[in-house]
Amino acid sequence: MSRWKNLIVLSFIGVYVSFLSWGVMAHALKVGTCGNTLSYFVVWDMFCGWTAWDARTHIIAEDAKGNYFEMREPWGEFHPFGHVARIHYDNTNHLLPKHIDNVMKHTIHEGIDRVYVVEEVWPKQYNLPPNLYAHYFERPNDKLSYFHLRAICAEDGTPLTINPDWHTQQRLNSVYDNPRLQRQSKQATAMYSTLFTPTSQSSGQSLNSSYSTGLSTN
Amino acid sequence: MNLPATQDQPKTQLGRFFFAKEVPFGVALVRMLLPLAAGTPMFMRFPRVRELYTADGSTVQMFELFGHGAVLPVLPPNLAVPLYSLLLICLLMAVVGFRTRLSLGIASTLYIYFNFLDGVGTMTKYSVIASHLLVLLTVSNCGAVWSVDAFLKKRAMGGANVTLPTFAVWPARLIQLLFAHIYFGAAITKIQTDSFFSGEQMRYWMLSNWNYENPVGEVMAMWAPMLLVSAYMAVVWEMMFPFLVWRPIGRLVVLGLGATFHFMTWLTLGLYIFPAICISGYFAFASERDVIIVRQFFRKLNIQRFFSWPVVAGKQVLARMPQAVPAAVVWSCLAAFCAIVGTEAELRMDIYGANTAEGGYRLKPMDATVARAMISKEQRVREQDKFFNFEIGTRTVGELLANRRSEFQFGELMLAQANLNPPHEDMWLECLLVDEENRTIEQFGQFVTRDMLRANFSYKFGNKLVPGNYQMVLKSANQEIYRRKFALNGTPEPTANNNTLLTN
Repeated sequence: MSRWKNLIVLSFIGVYVSFLSWGVMAHALKVGTCGNTLSYFVVWDMFCGWTAWDARTHIIAEDAKGNYFEMREPWGEFHPFGHVARIHYDNTNHLLPKHIDNVMKHTIHEGIDRVYVVEEVWPKQYNLPPNLYAHYFERPNDKLSYFHLRAICAEDGTPLTINPDWHTQQRLNSVYDNPRLQRQSKQATAMYSTLFTPTSQSSGQSLNSSYSTGLSTN
Repeated sequence: MNLPATQDQPKTQLGRFFFAKEVPFGVALVRMLLPLAAGTPMFMRFPRVRELYTADGSTVQMFELFGHGAVLPVLPPNLAVPLYSLLLICLLMAVVGFRTRLSLGIASTLYIYFNFLDGVGTMTKYSVIASHLLVLLTVSNCGAVWSVDAFLKKRAMGGANVTLPTFAVWPARLIQLLFAHIYFGAAITKIQTDSFFSGEQMRYWMLSNWNYENPVGEVMAMWAPMLLVSAYMAVVWEMMFPFLVWRPIGRLVVLGLGATFHFMTWLTLGLYIFPAICISGYFAFASERDVIIVRQFFRKLNIQRFFSWPVVAGKQVLARMPQAVPAAVVWSCLAAFCAIVGTEAELRMDIYGANTAEGGYRLKPMDATVARAMISKEQRVREQDKFFNFEIGTRTVGELLANRRSEFQFGELMLAQANLNPPHEDMWLECLLVDEENRTIEQFGQFVTRDMLRANFSYKFGNKLVPGNYQMVLKSANQEIYRRKFALNGTPEPTANNNTLLTN
């Protein structure tokens, strides 16, 4: 091998092994992987937690006359890894607005007023086949799905109202179901007209104004 | 097969590890298998190219999932579809080893690009592993043997019985190091995952049905001790992999366990492509010596004649290829032909139904009562759905009940275990021991806070009961959740002092 070729090969080996090692170290120490797309290529978190509840996403469109439509792709859902449609794998909801927009763009329909995004959840033990369920639990499989309104969107998929997902909502409910916490939150500092902005004191402006855009707080 | 002499090997151990020269049989095997494994889902996605990977569909880039917005250009269908077709033909040409490096280079680039465009339905950890392997194959000399390129080279040299070429083994070593990092990293993930070592996480995964069918997994999910043992075995194997895989005997053990592990993920989790890609990559661990041993073994069995027909057929086809036509021209014509055919085929598929009489499909109407029920105020979770199960037995493994029983003897300690489905609120659970006529004999209760996954109740069968049929009843929020029947057999223990209550 020529000297240059040797140098390129050695550099490649060095960079590649360092990249792999950085991924494992960063993942172990939980440093530098958040918000880093390339970390997905060297962090091996194939088993990062599975919930006790199975979930599906339903999208329902409502037109001006109060008619409802199932917003499933009329040309057939795409199942990436089995028999579950692609939209159900969108646990971060990045696909959702684009999916709604795509279905709307490629279908014939009346004017749509609202698009509701509903989460369906049920405990995973009801996924067992009937014979196994009967053998193990010794009672009928009376599966009940729970529906939770996740978001309301415009026709083009723009979110108008967003609610916490079902799991977060359940956790919030369980934490808030505590009279002491409720009392403390009610006694906490009020949100309006109580915040002081030092920079506005000298200019004589109102207490809550700020030079920054967006929220008018410090 | 003429093997070359191997005198000019590096002198240091590290030098030999990366730069020892061998005939690249291992990476050639990976080249023949990996594009098939990684390409299978890509072939199946071809009818959906427009929807998944073009500006006329709904792409979600990996960069968006990490908060960086759409970094990559999303191409219109008239560009993306030919490129996707080119990806598919390049994967096939890599399998047969025709213009191998060029095919693999294009396939790697396009494979990573299209995976990046669909972070929800295409990009997974198996596509990450496949991307690594494709890039490493591109820089290797995997096309030097068992390939069309090798055949054409031999023909160009007049068909003489030439010595097989040797190259430094570093590309194979990098693939091996990749697997060592994958398994070590996966072990760290499992160590950091709550409730992995109690089996709960595995159980819920096996019941998820997010992959393909997994009937074995559903049975195993209800067998808690097995899950626990499997969890420990998997982590120990993953941690040991980097330390044993370059040892002569250790290599066979950890690779054998690895193949078993991936086979079990197919059976229990319904994973198809992931194991196929990993097993394809395992062939990078095959050395020149391994291939010779296997070859000699097959020669002794004299069964190679049954498998030689694809080679013979391939050679006959290649022999008809005029020598005057450069391989690059043939490759380019094939690539162009596939891109054009792919584009035409995709247009004819007409996924959005734009060429139908109406010019598109209509949305499916929905029953208003059902729709309103789904979007109205949410239901409270039934008390019974806060529980996974309630079992009685006598023994636990890793805190989970290991033996379900319906018969007990006097003197035994019964364990009644309720497993809960998180998230749940703080609860007060009751466990009642009742007789056949539903008369309460004993009552126990305990708080179960929101962080707890299970509640245990124990009961020692002393001399308070008589032989017969009983039931353990689990209650929450004053509602009956589960009822487990059991029979108590034998004779009560003799009472030492009639004034002393021996049980509970």
